[in-house]
Amino acid sequence: MIRDAIRECWSKLCRILAGRRGPAIGLNADLAAEIDAHLEFEIQENIARGMPPDEARAAARRRVGNLTQIQERARDAWRFPPLEAMVQDLRYGLRGIRRAPGFSLVVVLTLALGIGANTAIFSVVNAVLLRPLPYPAPERLVVLGETDPHAEGISVTWVNYRHWRDENHSFEDMAGFRTASLTLTGRGDPLFTRAGVVTYGFFGLTGAHALLGRVFRPDDDQPGAAATVVLDYRFWIGKLGADPGVVGATLALDGKPYEVVGVLPPGLGFFQRGVDYYLPLHLFEGETTDRGRHGSMRLLTRLKPGVTLAAALADLDLIMLRLARSDPGPESQHRAHGAFLAEATTPGLRPKLLILLAAAGLVLIIACANVASLVLARASARAREIAIRAAIGAGRARLMRQLLTENLVLAALGGGAGGLLAQWGSRALVAAEPMPIPRLAETTFDWRVLLFAAAITVLTALFTGIAPAFTAGRSDLVSALKGSSRSATGRGGQRSRSALVVAEIAITLVLAFAAGLLLRNLTAAQTADPGFVPERVLALELVLPSAAYPSPPAIAGFYDRLERNLHALPGVADVGAVSCPPSEGDCNDWFYSIQDQRAPQPAEVPIALFNNADRDYFGAMRIPLREGRAFNETDRAAAPRVAIVNETFARKWWPRESAVGHRIKYGGPYRDGPVYDIVGVAGDVSQLGLGIEPYPEVYLPFSQSPDRAMVVMIRCAGDAASLGPAVRRRVTAIDRNLPIESLRPFEQILAASLAQRRFSTALLALFAGLAMALAAVGIYGLLNYWVRVREDEIAIRMALGAPRPSILRWAGWQALRLALIGAAIGMVAGWAVARWLENLVFGLTDNLATLAAAALAVIAIAMIAAAIPVWRATHVDAMDKLHHA
Amino acid sequence: MSTVDTPRERLEFLQGTLEVLILRSLQLGPNHAYGITQFLEQQSGDEFLVDNGSLYPALQRLLQRSWIAAQWKMSPNGRRAKYYRLTPAGRKQLAAATSRWQRFVEAMGRILAPEG
Repeated sequence: MIRDAIRECWSKLCRILAGRRGPAIGLNADLAAEIDAHLEFEIQENIARGMPPDEARAAARRRVGNLTQIQERARDAWRFPPLEAMVQDLRYGLRGIRRAPGFSLVVVLTLALGIGANTAIFSVVNAVLLRPLPYPAPERLVVLGETDPHAEGISVTWVNYRHWRDENHSFEDMAGFRTASLTLTGRGDPLFTRAGVVTYGFFGLTGAHALLGRVFRPDDDQPGAAATVVLDYRFWIGKLGADPGVVGATLALDGKPYEVVGVLPPGLGFFQRGVDYYLPLHLFEGETTDRGRHGSMRLLTRLKPGVTLAAALADLDLIMLRLARSDPGPESQHRAHGAFLAEATTPGLRPKLLILLAAAGLVLIIACANVASLVLARASARAREIAIRAAIGAGRARLMRQLLTENLVLAALGGGAGGLLAQWGSRALVAAEPMPIPRLAETTFDWRVLLFAAAITVLTALFTGIAPAFTAGRSDLVSALKGSSRSATGRGGQRSRSALVVAEIAITLVLAFAAGLLLRNLTAAQTADPGFVPERVLALELVLPSAAYPSPPAIAGFYDRLERNLHALPGVADVGAVSCPPSEGDCNDWFYSIQDQRAPQPAEVPIALFNNADRDYFGAMRIPLREGRAFNETDRAAAPRVAIVNETFARKWWPRESAVGHRIKYGGPYRDGPVYDIVGVAGDVSQLGLGIEPYPEVYLPFSQSPDRAMVVMIRCAGDAASLGPAVRRRVTAIDRNLPIESLRPFEQILAASLAQRRFSTALLALFAGLAMALAAVGIYGLLNYWVRVREDEIAIRMALGAPRPSILRWAGWQALRLALIGAAIGMVAGWAVARWLENLVFGLTDNLATLAAAALAVIAIAMIAAAIPVWRATHVDAMDKLHHA
Repeated sequence: MSTVDTPRERLEFLQGTLEVLILRSLQLGPNHAYGITQFLEQQSGDEFLVDNGSLYPALQRLLQRSWIAAQWKMSPNGRRAKYYRLTPAGRKQLAAATSRWQRFVEAMGRILAPEG
């Protein structure tokens, strides 16, 4: 049977494809001639039976039937009925759009905004979260770390790595990776470079092959191997002039020669900030035998097919349990931690993008509600037309299909416009790049984005069309034809439109509340006391290469000389240095314990941030000293070790007495570490970021533990930026080969640390604004319509003596009622959403004031939108109306 | 008048049967639409009334399935008429449909026949 159907279709297609010239025209003429002949046969027959010619002809016509209809039905056999009905619906829909250009424009623009916003955000989500990573079998790639009782995802020690790699049964391969900063010399100016330090398995796991030369082999990654380097494509092009003979050449990194063995093709993109070249990890860690020595290495691995991550981690934990028996120590408590690479590269990003996507989705729902409301209003205006079509035989299904097709045409136009908007919007999003987001630059309109846009367009059409389509089938012919547009669809239409407006107001309130919360959070951060004076400070970031500065005295000597030279510059007030400046975050956290107090359980050893500051740091940054003293000349390397703690630390342990004089042990009771005398308490600074609650922090004196990487804070008498060139010259005067990592006003660094929050807040505020505008349009449209269908009633009331204020109250109450119901629902929903947001956004506190402000704003917007229709209601010309009624 | 006002109500074709009957009528040789009508009404003892509004679309469908072919020819009384004839595929279809129909009738008969 299917074969017959196919052959039937094929015949029809052939006829259509043959075109109008040939058989298609022939069909009509042919059928006409055939039926003509048929008629003639009947007539002959009747005459042969003895009828007179006229009667014979008449009888024959009766017998044969309606000639046109026969011909039409025969011709219909050659058609594709559903398809042609659809084409007809489409044509009808387009005609409807042309006939109501204002309505259509509003609908298309509204949908374009909703669909555009969603598609733009989705294109980013797609590029960053959904698109598979560009490595072989990316869904099985896992990043491994360790957990201890306090933290998960900390680094893996070299010894553990060796055991895991050799003893596991769950992974195909395993490679260690971390980054390092080295100085390249001997090729023009000294250059501060970043290395990806990896074991040789790394290239196999990422599927990278060399463009020139080779990648690492197992023998590059062995004891006693020569120092080799594989160059990244961009570094080779940008810094080495794409030299084709680079393989075999030597690079001096931190003063040590490395032989170039290969160049990678572009686009490996594994390390988030990008690296210049890759070095074998063995060169750095090969000698390590202490199982507890943590660096910053993580592992990249690929699960064997069919092995779950949980099972693989359990496998590694067995190894850790064995090791805890054979090699006990601080690592005994540690276990394996793993996350799929796709998630590990975007920590914390998923919730942020999902919030934005959810907000965009709410905007789309409001847009849909608006359009549905408009379509409903138009459907009641068209009730007469629809009733007539139903009366002349259009079935209900046919009418519904036609209304849905009309919506689909509108939605498709909106979707197309939205697509253009989204393309522009996502390009703007990428250009604004508010934070280093992996793969953000890869945002394009691939098939997933197009599918998403198409899907929401179709859903939109269904959602906005279904209610009017149902009412269409129910409309009452008689009352529709009698011409009162009010009674045609009854109060049902009005009620569903009111429900839509209420929903819009509620959703708008939720968005406004969420945006308000983030905004408050952001302004709180911006106005929060950072604990120091950031104005007029120039921050100079340096990393001394270990080859040129191998020993603590050399490092201390350099910074000492630099600070003295900078201090001598005119316009410089103070100079101090710190290794981890405020808002940089957590550079180094570690265990500690308080001496002379009961030792905590191994699982309860506290953690603090450890920082490194020189004696002038607190003064230069204007960080107040609450107790004790700052670091000074007496804190020499050989002198007793001292520390300054922050206020939070001091209050945590000694709420009622001074912290000065107490002693803390680095590493806690179960690990080796020096003991420090607390000599001072410094005010809290926004170490983890502006507006984020301070964490216990310990400053160690630079003079006792010099650090190669320091940020030198230069407090200026005047404008900080203008001192830049002079500072640069001073650095070069001391060490010509020292690259400057960065040099900029500290206020800029602070502002940049808020960029991400500012960005997502701005986007959410934009969505809330869009929602408000759409809701305003919605309530305006509804009330306008409400007034229009009641003009007669108003006229009669006024003619009967109702004063204007009572009309005003009557119409105004309609608007206010909707706004109040919507606001009530929105407040409940908003409170629930705030709970959800609190879990996703750090440091967010909800409060009633913000909720009330959002509710007031939304009600105010609703009443402003209602003002014009209400005003119109009170200015109905009663006499005129009644004369024409 | 006898062709129009028939005292006894005539039978309508069951869904899909008209096409098989057309094929059957062409088994005797090529015929035109009027001839097919005549044949069906006579053979059925005037029980069937052939509606041209159904006959013509059915002919088109049979053409589309290549079960019949059409050709303009002179009729014996000297008029040009469109003659339909069975194709080999149509012949096969007729045979299949006939045997299916016979099984159907027998089954129906067995069920509907009054018990003895």
